[in-house]
Amino acid sequence: MAFLTGVAATAFGKHPGSDAPTLMETAARTAITDAGLPLEAVDGLVCGYATTFPHLMTATVMVERLGLKPRHAHQAAVGGATGAVGILLARHLIAAGACRHVLVLGGENRLTGQSRDDAVKTLAGVGHPVHEVPLGASVPAYYALVAARHLHETGASEGDLAELAVLMRRHAADHPGAQLTKPIGVDDVMASKPVATPLKLLDCCPISDGAAAVVVSAEPGQGASIRLAGWGEAHTHQHVSEMPDDLGLGARMAASAAFERAGRTASDMRLLGLYDSFTPTLAIFLEALGFAAPGQAGPMARDGLFGRDGHFPLNLHGGLLSYGHPGVAGFLAHVVEVVRQMRGEAGTRQVKGPPPLAYCHADGGVFSSHAGFVLERTA
Amino acid sequence: MNGPMLQSCGACCRRWQFRRGACPACGSAEVSEIAASGQGTVWSVTQVMRAPLSELDVPGGYGIALVTLVEGPRIMCRAENGLAIGERVTVTIRADNLPAATRA
Repeated sequence: MAFLTGVAATAFGKHPGSDAPTLMETAARTAITDAGLPLEAVDGLVCGYATTFPHLMTATVMVERLGLKPRHAHQAAVGGATGAVGILLARHLIAAGACRHVLVLGGENRLTGQSRDDAVKTLAGVGHPVHEVPLGASVPAYYALVAARHLHETGASEGDLAELAVLMRRHAADHPGAQLTKPIGVDDVMASKPVATPLKLLDCCPISDGAAAVVVSAEPGQGASIRLAGWGEAHTHQHVSEMPDDLGLGARMAASAAFERAGRTASDMRLLGLYDSFTPTLAIFLEALGFAAPGQAGPMARDGLFGRDGHFPLNLHGGLLSYGHPGVAGFLAHVVEVVRQMRGEAGTRQVKGPPPLAYCHADGGVFSSHAGFVLERTA
Repeated sequence: MNGPMLQSCGACCRRWQFRRGACPACGSAEVSEIAASGQGTVWSVTQVMRAPLSELDVPGGYGIALVTLVEGPRIMCRAENGLAIGERVTVTIRADNLPAATRA
């Protein structure tokens, strides 16, 4: 049994002068305090990579900085899925009896710590060094190829995808830590600068500074008990050239395992925290996982299904698309929001309930690595 | 023949582009190099309007397609402007060594 006992996220956006370890330290200390634990109780650390701090031993840097004495520590790298895989690893370490309280940590100054060109170039490197990167492909281009195929297969429109960007912005407006809060409409998304067709600037998440942390424990801890009830992973390919024809395959494999282990189905969920690097990422996840019919994610968002009062409230902090995306901390911020909602601590953003069951999911690469998990409020 | 080079499995006949020591489908090490015909169909295509490197930026952007070759594998190519999903294309290796898809 594993429980999410402590969560913290900094505001995302610009933190000039703060390097990756500084941002991570802030989130780590806040999450440990949130868990009600003394520092010495934390006996495990899974620490994400940071593109602005390319160190061989980031976990050990953070062990030293925080003054931890862990029985296990290492740096994990599974792209955008790092935080999700980190939480599953924490659960496995606890199940194995190796640790009792594992800190999962990510953060960096991705926005102010490097040039825009360096950031884009680093990210493009997830492509194949011989057969993709030399063609001038970028991460938005890889996702654009999947987006174009998705629209072709489902008959959905660019305007449908735009609905998801509009929704994330609406949610971010209620969170003081969000990077982008100016209200937008579908027309604004459609009129934003083209990046790689069919994706426009507002279909893409921003680059951000920020950090987030989650403590996973062998026991519930203080307050509401949030149990990790089911989990699953899938790793179907690395490069978009070798992506399966079924665009939702990896997501579905990971989610099916998670739902089966939890003894639940998608329709039981009352809250979602889904990775949303681009609007098509979110559309494909919602449709592959059974929260929307094929091609209907956008129209269902417009109809309110994924809003705070809808059936499947989604990314109520604004997601990567509007809360922001500083790499590994990006998805961890989804988990922070989900846990706060399940505890009933989300203030003006609070979903009625609070929701007893939630599903969280992230991908790394280009729908390459998937990790998903079901959270259940047990007390 | 100026098609892209592929690898082919002597045991199960699977073909693929990325270089490997054994077949990703059956594990056989009986792998040979073959030249693809270059004939294929557009699986997806995008016009990149903002390049990852500023020296690649050109007015109007440039096309990148994923093309499913008749031999089986899907490969990434530069794309002639205006290509659509489902169109039949020919992939050839350009002078700069990049594969490019043009209408068949």
